[in-house]
Amino acid sequence: MRRVIPVLLLTVAGLIPLWRFEATPHESTAVLADPAPAETGSAAPSTSGAPPAGGGQPASTSTTGSSESTNYGSVQVQVTFTGDRITEVRALRAPTSTRTQGALPQLRQSALSAQSADIDTVSGATQTSQAYAKSLQAAIDAKGR
Amino acid sequence: MSAVGTVRRVEQVMGLPVSVDLRDELIGEQAVQRVFDWLHEVDARFSPFRLDSEVSLFSRGELAESELSTDLRYVLQVCVDYQQRTGGAFRAWLPGRALDPCAVVKGWAVQRAAGLLRRAGARNFCLNAGGDVVTHGEPGPGRRWRVGIRHPDEADQLCGVLEVGSAAVATSAAYERGAHIVDGRTGLPPRHALLSVTVLAADLTIADTTATAAFALGEDGIAWAAAEPGCSVFAVRADRSVFSSPGLPLV
Repeated sequence: MRRVIPVLLLTVAGLIPLWRFEATPHESTAVLADPAPAETGSAAPSTSGAPPAGGGQPASTSTTGSSESTNYGSVQVQVTFTGDRITEVRALRAPTSTRTQGALPQLRQSALSAQSADIDTVSGATQTSQAYAKSLQAAIDAKGR
Repeated sequence: MSAVGTVRRVEQVMGLPVSVDLRDELIGEQAVQRVFDWLHEVDARFSPFRLDSEVSLFSRGELAESELSTDLRYVLQVCVDYQQRTGGAFRAWLPGRALDPCAVVKGWAVQRAAGLLRRAGARNFCLNAGGDVVTHGEPGPGRRWRVGIRHPDEADQLCGVLEVGSAAVATSAAYERGAHIVDGRTGLPPRHALLSVTVLAADLTIADTTATAAFALGEDGIAWAAAEPGCSVFAVRADRSVFSSPGLPLV
């Protein structure tokens, strides 16, 4: 008996910072795959700890996250869960570059421009499925090596 | 889609997306399976969200301290230790709440998972559990692991990259809804909250607990964490100013 497989499809569009000190170079986004029509589970963000064992079936509606293009590039990752298991992580779109743009100059001083391909892993609080699906780590996992 | 001789697997366990990236040839799926089995075991034993876990039984007074497993005793000792070191800002026991040692359990469990991989013969791997990372060896001949630090304002951007060999990197931050780290002295969110604080250490129990405790302390947590033995810090304050420890291996 296979259970319904909820698919979480999320898009990250860079928040437009309130402060812009200079125009950023235009960055393109590589389309790695076409988004498949997806069953979207209502994944409630859990706080740290375990999701309830044998949780109920998530409501399923079919949606495809729109990937908005910003001059930061954008990420769109499809994460497939079977129960608690993440059975597939697929990058639909991944940023071709991860130029950092802080909203204030101090953070920009530590900014860097790096190909995400150059990064092996990402440290950051991504403790929920939703945060993970929006993360660069998911894009790295999806791309494999 | 892994390169030949490597294993990559992601699974949701302990409420976290856990990614295993194993770069050794001839170390197969079995070793990786043991990692996930162990983390599932930790979840069953130590999740405060499971009524039958050892943590819940102890929290409800159904287990005496003398009856606790060695593992839980160790975890609780670490909790007490950091509660003292932070003047009570870091606290696993909050008034009116069930015992919640998750902040220590996660780092400790993932560090132990790294030990399981090493005992299986793995030399070059990276574990990432909800953004807390253990690296070992090298990702490729002569290379160092490049660990990006998530930009606090943008989920798909970085604000720094660390180059490390065998190390642990943990980040605590406020940008994820549902992450409630409170200042144990007040029971409220930190008064001068940081946007994010990343700690580099030799061991993930230390890195993870130190990052969580620093976040609970707020801005005072930066100097505190930077002075902790063996810890280097990268922190972003609310005004977007950045602190980084001297000698932090930022690219």
